[in-house]
Amino acid sequence: MRVPRTIEIRKMGNLFNYSDALKLQEKLASDRKMNKITDTLLSLQHPPTYTLGKRRTDHNILVPECELKSMGAELHYTQRGGDVTFHGPRQAILYPIISLREFGLGARKYVENLELTMIELASLYGVKASVGRKCETGVWVGERKIGAIGVRISSGITSHGLAFNIDPDLSYFKHIVPCGIADKEVTSLQREVKQEVLLPSDELIQDQLISCFAKIFGYTNVVSRNNS
Amino acid sequence: MALRMWASSTANALRLSSSSSSSRFAPAFSLSRTFSTVLEGFKYATSHEWVKHDGSIATIGITDHAQDHLGEVVFVELPDGGKAVEQASSFGAVESVKATSDINSPISGEVVEVNTKLTESPGLINSSPYEDGWMIKVKPSNPSELESLMGPKEYTKFCEDEDASH
Repeated sequence: MRVPRTIEIRKMGNLFNYSDALKLQEKLASDRKMNKITDTLLSLQHPPTYTLGKRRTDHNILVPECELKSMGAELHYTQRGGDVTFHGPRQAILYPIISLREFGLGARKYVENLELTMIELASLYGVKASVGRKCETGVWVGERKIGAIGVRISSGITSHGLAFNIDPDLSYFKHIVPCGIADKEVTSLQREVKQEVLLPSDELIQDQLISCFAKIFGYTNVVSRNNS
Repeated sequence: MALRMWASSTANALRLSSSSSSSRFAPAFSLSRTFSTVLEGFKYATSHEWVKHDGSIATIGITDHAQDHLGEVVFVELPDGGKAVEQASSFGAVESVKATSDINSPISGEVVEVNTKLTESPGLINSSPYEDGWMIKVKPSNPSELESLMGPKEYTKFCEDEDASH
């Protein structure tokens, strides 16, 4: 017997500032913890932003911070797990604020489900993605990384989430060692689909990503709330 | 399920770890990886931390069930000695598979010792959650808080119910 589960989708647009996203997630996580709101999923894109995880692995940023700024990118230190990564236009982001306890999900299974969400999306475009080898979380097409994961869990409530490259400017990744793994390439959906394939709009792809998420996590009731 | 109930009641009947002065407990039962180990003589929080109260000091760590659900731990953040911790509030964090999880303290008190070995070997939390993987030792400020925590039987049932809600 399956309990009906509801998730509320908030679409925050495609230039949602990283600091604002952090603040919103903190507020939602606290509201979720007190059961004031139901499970919530933020869908958005960021302006060019580099972020570091809790371990603050600055050495994996290969250029000085001022240079990042001159490229028009921001740098943020965060409380999520994982190493340095890049977010920017044409990269789909999902930030789920959900109660893992009500799901009976642990961190490992939760991250696996996020990976499956991105693998499912890639498969809609005939791209065969898979999980990384041991210690290489994220989603890969061969040796190339197409999706990244960084998660925080506080009192059983999740924040941060996944980033899937639709067609971002991949040159931004040259300034970092993405996820701390050297000698690995970053790729995008546009790069992996056959060249004659024209991708639909980012908005539609993000909706598909939301559907994949809801399916993998077993949400039976998906409600939308438009904030953008 | 029946087997586990049997194992649990047998362990209780035999009181495999009845010596409360012993600092090292043998697992009460450990049938297979499917069943997480729960030890006698410990108290458990709903957020999956354990506490072992020994004289005036309480040792705190995360349970076998918790480490199994986290996956391989790669980084541990612990408080400094002397810091106050509060029941049900976060005192540190563990990072596994790209997820940082806050760790709550099952009781309030002052941190008197920190397991510095975890900085070099965070994997001890996976391989030995109840012994070498302990996280902090606390001088409890309100020992009666221990009564609000679960015993081993109750905690085993709690884990089963949580896993069943998948």
